[in-house]
Amino acid sequence: MNHDLMRQLAEILPRIQGFIYPNEIEIHWGMLIVVYPYITGVVAGAFILASLVKVFNVKEVQPLYRLSLLTALAYLLVAPMALVSHLGHPERFYEILLTPNTSSAMAMFGFVYAWYLMAVLLLEIWFVHRMDMIALAEQHRGAMRFVYRALSLYSRDTSERAVAFDHSALKVITIVGIPSAFLLHGYVGFIFGSVKANPWWSSVLIPIVFLFSAIVSGIALVILLYMIINPLAGGKINMKCVDKAVDFLFYAVIVDFSLEMVDFIHRVYQSEEEIKILSEMVMNKLFLSLVVIQVLLGMLLPLTLISITKIFRKRFGASEDLRKMVYFLSVLLIQFGIFATRWNVVIGGQMFSKSFRGLTTYKMEFGGLEGLLYALGLLILPLVILTVLLKILPPWKEMKELRGGAAGGGLETAGS
Amino acid sequence: MVKFPEKIPDSLARLLVVFLALVAAGAFVVLVVIPRPMKDVRLQWADDIKREQAKPVRYAGFHVCVECHGEIYEMKKKGYHRDLSCETCHGPAKAHTEDPDKVKPVIPAQRAFCPLCHAYNPSRPRGFPQINPVVHNPLKACASCHNPHDPKPPTTPKDCSACHGEIARTKAVSHHVMLACTTCHEVPRQHKISPRSVKPSKPQTREFCGKCHAKDARDKMAKDAPRVDLSEHGEKYVCWQCHYPHSPEVEN
Ligand code: HEC
Ligand code: HEC
Ligand code: HEC
Ligand code: HEC
Ligand code: HEC
Ligand code: HEC
Ligand code: HEC
Ligand code: HEC
Repeated sequence: MNHDLMRQLAEILPRIQGFIYPNEIEIHWGMLIVVYPYITGVVAGAFILASLVKVFNVKEVQPLYRLSLLTALAYLLVAPMALVSHLGHPERFYEILLTPNTSSAMAMFGFVYAWYLMAVLLLEIWFVHRMDMIALAEQHRGAMRFVYRALSLYSRDTSERAVAFDHSALKVITIVGIPSAFLLHGYVGFIFGSVKANPWWSSVLIPIVFLFSAIVSGIALVILLYMIINPLAGGKINMKCVDKAVDFLFYAVIVDFSLEMVDFIHRVYQSEEEIKILSEMVMNKLFLSLVVIQVLLGMLLPLTLISITKIFRKRFGASEDLRKMVYFLSVLLIQFGIFATRWNVVIGGQMFSKSFRGLTTYKMEFGGLEGLLYALGLLILPLVILTVLLKILPPWKEMKELRGGAAGGGLETAGS
Repeated sequence: MVKFPEKIPDSLARLLVVFLALVAAGAFVVLVVIPRPMKDVRLQWADDIKREQAKPVRYAGFHVCVECHGEIYEMKKKGYHRDLSCETCHGPAKAHTEDPDKVKPVIPAQRAFCPLCHAYNPSRPRGFPQINPVVHNPLKACASCHNPHDPKPPTTPKDCSACHGEIARTKAVSHHVMLACTTCHEVPRQHKISPRSVKPSKPQTREFCGKCHAKDARDKMAKDAPRVDLSEHGEKYVCWQCHYPHSPEVEN
């Protein structure tokens, strides 16, 4: 054996336990692929929250409506960046759009994405803000005026008929949008669930689990953003709205948790040949991220916290500040929990050998395209984009709305 | 006649223009700008196919060898190495089959070769014949005792420990040290010659261990054996679900 090989082995071997095939030592789907399902999850979840207002007529959460649409857009713009950066040749990504391969789910990503972006999200945002943009164009001079004119596609029709049309168009788009949001994130789960050779991923439940965790993360994030941004913009937090949103979050977490439990019990009961290595992986390699962060801190603790506010309704009903604190802590914990979920799926699926006889370790880089720094950048970027979007299409009027329940009246634009 | 702009709302018309423009641009790029052959996978494969076809064929497969090495071929077919191809050990031999006098395949005669497959390694399947190359008849070439084309132990081993070293060593320091393997296993003579086709028996019932451990056991080895109540102890489970028979231990 030559010296170079020995040196490489000496570096690699401490990462390995038991027997592992040579091509499994290094984990190829790293941090970026963890970030990607997390971000698309937020998109789908935020959109579902928005559709609560439009389709299911939940008036209480009206103040979150525009915020959640803009959040969805900001995150959606960043989602493909994670994927494209992960490609060996990012500059060639457009080629899979030009020569579509319909038999590969991964190659169809561009179309699922484009459908969702163009046919759903941008359309809905455009219709919601059309009247605003016309009004804003009047108020501004110079370059901004031009921007608003262009954004509104030079539309000037403010007649009653046009507004009525905006309303019905919104309804249709949202109804098409819900299955599309399901498609977008179900698709991400499908990619993992259909990897036959990988027992950690291969499960028909995965798309559905992904979907519900997406809803959880999206709703939680919008609540979190609302609780931070609204006071910064000089508004007061509308507790009726937050209470209602947290209600939905609570049920979504319960469904998500039950689904994950079903998946878990199913695996343990079936006890197929891989169960030994998987349980070893969970108990050693993923203990912190799965048992502690995902399940205990990311699900059970927030569930308990929110349940407490419900059980001791009198005590918590009296004090909004106390409730705010509990909610804030819960949605924050849930964010970390969902991120850990993505981590456990993506990294976990590559940590055990397909010989079921060994484990490897994920060694995260710091710099570089696959590194921690870049991933953090991608996680912060949507917030930057959101800030810009909030500047261009300010939702303040709606967000600061305190009456909540009152059918959104008083807002003369289509979004109400 | 209805006037066009009145039928379609203004906003929708504007959106439609944008969408149609996008679709038209996309269609233009896909249908016109990209030349037809670029969209054909055959173009992408063409070079690969040529490159692969240009590679020299290096392996001949083992059926070719029968022509000239019929004896070895037949011998290997019956032995334990029947699933190994000749070229697994002798390397690519296509050139040899074409000009046997000029090109000779490698002969892996050095000792380090066979342990690639036969050295002890816990990840190998259970029952796969393994040895410790450091202590297994060191210094001599493997082929001096085992015919590589029909490997078997050259002499019938006397002790079970030749092949079940780990169990033998474990038992030697356990409470069952005084018990011979054959107390519990009936071993046909053939097992030591073709261990995988002829297998010894294994104890099947709780009563078997009861021969020495039941309250009323009378076996001559049972004198020092600690007793348990067979009807209660360990419930319905067989004893070796809790006690490893080759090293029974009780934590007190
Ligand atoms: C066309 C007949 C022919 C075929 C086919 C053939 N061999 Fe041979 N092989 C020979 C001859 C002739 C020799 C030389 C014998 C000698 O030198 O005594 C030989 C020698 C060998 C040797 C010994 C080399 C040495 O250095 O002594 C090996 C090993 C061998 N062959 C392997 C193979 C394998 C493996 C195959 C099948 C892929 C194969 N042969 C196919 C004719 C053939
Ligand atoms: C397990 C590895 C292995 C396999 C499989 C194997 N050989 Fe060999 N072969 C050897 C070794 C080792 C020697 C050298 C034996 C010695 O040094 O006495 C050898 C020697 C030979 C020789 C030259 C010496 C002799 O005994 O005539 C020929 C010819 C040969 N092998 C042909 C074959 C052919 C043909 C096959 C397939 C049918 C085959 N071998 C399969 C390991 C193998
Ligand atoms: C490519 C892997 C491989 C190599 C190299 C190899 N063997 Fe084997 N050997 C096997 C397999 C497979 C078996 C059959 C195991 C079974 O039947 O379960 C076997 C069986 C045996 C047996 C067992 C017979 C028994 O009684 O159980 C012996 C002895 C043996 N090989 C010796 C050798 C020698 C000597 C060499 C070197 C010339 C060698 N092997 C090289 C794979 C290999
Ligand atoms: C001095 C002769 C001798 C040499 C050299 C020798 N062996 Fe053995 N081998 C034996 C004998 C004898 C047995 C039967 C078991 C025992 O008594 O140790 C055996 C058994 C085996 C077995 C069968 C074990 C089982 O579980 O069925 C394998 C495999 C084996 N040898 C491989 C090798 C390999 C590989 C080498 C070379 C590194 C080698 N032997 C060298 C004599 C030899
Ligand atoms: C030549 C090597 C060899 C010798 C000597 C040998 N065995 Fe084995 N024995 C084997 C191998 C190899 C197996 C594994 C068979 C399998 O799992 O397919 C085995 C399997 C067994 C099993 C388990 C059978 C089963 O159904 O799982 C028992 C029990 C056993 N041997 C007992 C003995 C005893 C007792 C002796 C001594 C009297 C002995 N063996 C001597 C090679 C040997
Ligand atoms: C006290 C009785 C007893 C003695 C003595 C004993 N065995 Fe066993 N052995 C068993 C029992 C019981 C099993 C079955 C365990 C099972 O089915 O899980 C077994 C299983 C085995 C097996 C197959 C399972 C395994 O662990 O690999 C082998 C091989 C074996 N014995 C070899 C030996 C050898 C060799 C000796 C002597 C060194 C020996 N046994 C002595 C009771 C005994
Ligand atoms: C032929 C008689 C005999 C048979 C059969 C036998 N044993 Fe034993 N066993 C003994 C003797 C003798 C001792 C006590 C050895 C000593 O420590 O002095 C013993 C000790 C034990 C102990 C106690 C170890 C301790 O820590 O004190 C256990 C447990 C045990 N045997 C389990 C089993 C099981 C399980 C079986 C059936 C697979 C079995 N024995 C079959 C003779 C037997
Ligand atoms: C469910 C697990 C279980 C099963 C099955 C089981 N044992 Fe035990 N055995 C134990 C435990 C635990 C102890 C030590 C605690 C005690 O004394 O009860 C023990 C102790 C013993 C002792 C030592 C008693 C002493 O006084 O030192 C013997 C002998 C023994 N078992 C034999 C057997 C035999 C024979 C069988 C099958 C008929 C068997 N056991 C089945 C769990 C089990």
